[in-house]
Amino acid sequence: MTIASLTQLICFAALSITLVVGSLGVVLLPNIVYSAFLLCGVFLSVAGLYLLLNASFVAAAQVLVYVGAVNVLILFAIMLVNKKEDLAEIPRLALRRLLSGGVCLGLFLLLLRVDLTTPWAVPGPVGIGEGATIRIGEHLFSDYLLPFELASVLLLMSMIGAIVLARRDVFGSDLITGEDVDQGLIEKVRPPLLLDPTTPSPSALQETI
Amino acid sequence: MTTAATLSPPPVLEAAVTPGLDLQSGFTTILEGFGLSPAAAHLIWLPLPMLLVLVAAVVGVLVNVWLERKISAAVQQRIGPEYAGALGVLQPLADGLKLLFKEDVIPKRADGLLFTLGPVLVLIPVILSWLVVPFGQNLVISDVGVGIFLWIALSSIQPIGLLMSGYSSNNKYSLLGGLRAAAQSISYEIPLALAVLAVVMMSNSLSTVDIVNQQSGAGILSWNIWRQPVGFVIFWICALAECERLPFDLPEAEEELVAGYQTEYAGMKFALFYLGSYINLVLSALLVAVLYLGGWGFPVPVEWLAGTLGQSVEAPLVQVITGSVGIVMTVLKAYLLVFTAILLRWTLPRVRIDQLLDLGWKFLLPIALVNLLATAGLKLAFPGFFGG
Amino acid sequence: MNRFPLYRIGGPSRLRTRAAAATVRSTRRSFEADMDLFGVLPALTELPHLAAASLASVPLATAPAIGLGITAAQLNSGAIAPEAAILIALLVCLLVDLAGEEAAVRWVPPICYAGLGTALVLLARQWNAPLEPSFLGSFLADDLAVAFRAVVAASTLLSLMISWRYVERSGSPVGEYAAILLAATLGAMFLCGSTDLVSIFVSLETLSVSSYLLSGYMKRDARSGEAALKYLLVGSAAAAVFLYGASLLYGLTGGSTGLDAVGVALQTSATPVTALALVFVLATVAFKIAAVPFHQWTPDVYEGSPTPVVAFLSVGSKAAGFALALRLLVGCFDSFDTQWKLLFTVLAVLSMTLGNVVALAQTTMKRMLAYSSIGQAGFVMIGLVCGTEDGYAAMVLYMAAYLFMNLGAFACIILFSLRTGSDRISDYAGLYQKDPLITLGLSLCLLSLGGIPPMLGFFGKIYLFFAGWADHQYLLVVVGLITSVVSIYYYISVIKMMVVKEPQEASDVVKAYPPITWNLAGMGTLRTALVACVLVTAVGGVLSNPLFTWANGAVTGTPMLQQSIASSAAREATAIAAAPVPPTPAILG
Repeated sequence: MTIASLTQLICFAALSITLVVGSLGVVLLPNIVYSAFLLCGVFLSVAGLYLLLNASFVAAAQVLVYVGAVNVLILFAIMLVNKKEDLAEIPRLALRRLLSGGVCLGLFLLLLRVDLTTPWAVPGPVGIGEGATIRIGEHLFSDYLLPFELASVLLLMSMIGAIVLARRDVFGSDLITGEDVDQGLIEKVRPPLLLDPTTPSPSALQETI
Repeated sequence: MTTAATLSPPPVLEAAVTPGLDLQSGFTTILEGFGLSPAAAHLIWLPLPMLLVLVAAVVGVLVNVWLERKISAAVQQRIGPEYAGALGVLQPLADGLKLLFKEDVIPKRADGLLFTLGPVLVLIPVILSWLVVPFGQNLVISDVGVGIFLWIALSSIQPIGLLMSGYSSNNKYSLLGGLRAAAQSISYEIPLALAVLAVVMMSNSLSTVDIVNQQSGAGILSWNIWRQPVGFVIFWICALAECERLPFDLPEAEEELVAGYQTEYAGMKFALFYLGSYINLVLSALLVAVLYLGGWGFPVPVEWLAGTLGQSVEAPLVQVITGSVGIVMTVLKAYLLVFTAILLRWTLPRVRIDQLLDLGWKFLLPIALVNLLATAGLKLAFPGFFGG
Repeated sequence: MNRFPLYRIGGPSRLRTRAAAATVRSTRRSFEADMDLFGVLPALTELPHLAAASLASVPLATAPAIGLGITAAQLNSGAIAPEAAILIALLVCLLVDLAGEEAAVRWVPPICYAGLGTALVLLARQWNAPLEPSFLGSFLADDLAVAFRAVVAASTLLSLMISWRYVERSGSPVGEYAAILLAATLGAMFLCGSTDLVSIFVSLETLSVSSYLLSGYMKRDARSGEAALKYLLVGSAAAAVFLYGASLLYGLTGGSTGLDAVGVALQTSATPVTALALVFVLATVAFKIAAVPFHQWTPDVYEGSPTPVVAFLSVGSKAAGFALALRLLVGCFDSFDTQWKLLFTVLAVLSMTLGNVVALAQTTMKRMLAYSSIGQAGFVMIGLVCGTEDGYAAMVLYMAAYLFMNLGAFACIILFSLRTGSDRISDYAGLYQKDPLITLGLSLCLLSLGGIPPMLGFFGKIYLFFAGWADHQYLLVVVGLITSVVSIYYYISVIKMMVVKEPQEASDVVKAYPPITWNLAGMGTLRTALVACVLVTAVGGVLSNPLFTWANGAVTGTPMLQQSIASSAAREATAIAAAPVPPTPAILG
């Protein structure tokens, strides 16, 4: 075994262990902040695996997108709403956990079986290393042109949608009739309209009590 | 470096523009002369440049700290550090020693693990980014194909460390500082990346070495700063914001947040933040030099100089001289920028957080996009001048 | 140096790619430069914040391709002209919206009509046009795609027409609403014609993300937020499952994402991995068409979303889902048709039963229509399971019929809730005296949904059952017939509520019914859409011959479906040849 392949093996083992342990931690830890930080570790190990596969561009993109953007946003969200709340006890939690664990294990075994029974075409095509950046660009502007351009519509829409949902200014009244509006569904669960105004409606009664 | 270079035989020529010094092939050839296998020789070589750059980075920080103290003193018409060494040059060393021996305090209600991990996560990506800083044609640790993109990616890890230390300190100022730092960092990364993209578009490569090579040829006239003046300004502003230098040092604004995410830190952990921020400053300055100021290029083309002096560019002595000149030029350009950064720090008032975000999102981002579009258009219109 | 992938499996579209690659090589020097940059762009544009950057690239859709030496003719970009019309309308909507809400209310509707109308006209021009894959194998505008895209575009057009007043009445911005709905349409239309796993995924996500946004559009309403969150979580899980399945398929082909290559690879591989990929892909399709047991999101999302959005989701989104099902299952998994047909039989039986039975117990119209839409999807699945020419044609026909009757019903519900602020079924009591138009329209549409003879829905349903019976899917047809009867019960009970009640028995909201006016902006279009839908539903049944021809044409003009029909016929022939005494004649005696 040459030094290079030994190094590669060690790196692979280390990255895989980090990946598996990290992902388990993300799912199992009760502290959501730890989960988020571990997710960062998981993303980084995936980037490391890409590097081992000679896909340095994909690795750098993985770090930039998943660690630099996605994970930071997740952390932001967690830290901005990190409110300690006593949630209601979930009934039969242990049983539920056992069940979901069983389902996951079953899925894992199924995947394992699939993995072992499939005649994979190994070794696959030879990696092109540094040429990958150029190759990716070529693909994006030849046979993947349509999804690439469509992705811009998708991103534009997500951005606009996020702004629409997040912005504070709302119209206080209907632009055409001038009625008050509340940016809610039109189908309100209202008390019947022709109820005698002198007798309080059931909901109003509840409020006074 | 120079000793290894003088010992080295003429390096193996590659298809590069100017071969320049190739310390690696020289070093491994010597070791192979001692009877080592090429793989073993390579293995022995591997850590050397890393160590060298690590030392260079730390020394760079020491110089930086000294400069900061001296220049700020000069700006304020004081004298500055004076007694530790000649002109106080040993002052940063004393600072460092003090931090090293200080008690390492972890607040009682803090999260010890994350509290320790935070500063490490801040420092490591910055040091890793030195991988791609070239000091000459072959004087770079790793001329990876994704070069400058690697730096952008690595610098996006930093906010995680800042958030981590801000959160784990269990202190509202720390948390606010961490959030501010992360927000600032991700906001300014985008115009920064777009500015870099314009340069990359002109040089047709992400590799830092290729970017510098594309700026050689006509000396100072071929530097990117003439072709990308807007990009240069955007990049420099964003780099300052990424380094949290004044006028963008909101995450640690004393009047508002005590010291931001560093509030609870002391001793070596604080030193890591300190080191990280200064290494980052030097790194940013180096990258400005590489991207816009011709990297290791001399203002007058070296080939032309050697030609007028009647020397062959490939002569060993000339190579050593050009290599050294390259290193000196890179460092000189970088420190010139560091000097401006320090001057800016002591002359400009701090912006408000909303002004900071407005500047990033509403001004720099559109300008950077327009710059990118204009560069693409110019590239199509004048391929000779804008890198066809 | 050939940098273009040599490991790709050649299919018809791949050959085209090679040809393009040759052109690419010849012009390499000039554009090698751009490639590094273009390599950077995708990663950067993935950055959520960098979406702005993509704005710049939208209008330049074909410019980079020209740089590569691939001309627009080679791309055959004319195939997406209808989508381009919608995209332009979308961008114009956004620009107009910048001028303020008053301008948006005034100008956005005509812009949308223009865009969607142009798209429909362009789609009509594509009908039976010579078939050629476009975008180097990413998109195929065969007649099936044209038919489903037309259904999607028409459903958007009608949903928009019935939504203006609703959106304004709730105080939500109109421009963005239209833009997001148009983006959803764009995603759905691309989904109908995509022939490449990556295109399918991106268009699926465009549709899904826009749908999440739309269902949460009434942002001050907790129900709307809940609907959006549930939809987002379930939808993301479905997308992840699809990606897993797609990655398995990609692995099977050995490096190609084109559906033709996937189909070729699947013919030779009969390992568990194929079964797994099939299940994963099927789960996504079932999620999109809301088949039981992947339906749990439907009632909550339908109840919490703005009603016009529900109208679009129940028709446009579902049509795209069925188009995807046809592309993936018939186009790729043709060699596994016994397996997926079995799975779909189960899904169809469950959907028809559960959808129609649970709908009986609902007290609000939106929830009732949600469950009814689950049941209706079950009926359409009969056509998919048949796999005969009639089956596919019945699917297309029923989707078109469903478009009109369902949107007509939604138009009536929206009108009623605009006037009364309620969608409880009990509140419809005695409506015929106050508002004959709603009563008539809703009655006709519901009767059609139930499959009562003279209506359009009857012919659609009878064609489905006929196709199922002809293909010996007796179980499905019997379940379909029984559940149809069940569905007629709850549809009729609404009609009974509206028509049969005496004036004094009318609900309080009906007693307090406001005077009928049509002069507010947006009400006129609502009336137009309502009347149009009801007219088509009522008269279309009697005059349904053009629709039959159209649906049959969509199937005969689609090589993919023809191939599948031919191959299954061939399989049947060999099976009959192998068995000396065919069992059926013996039974028939």
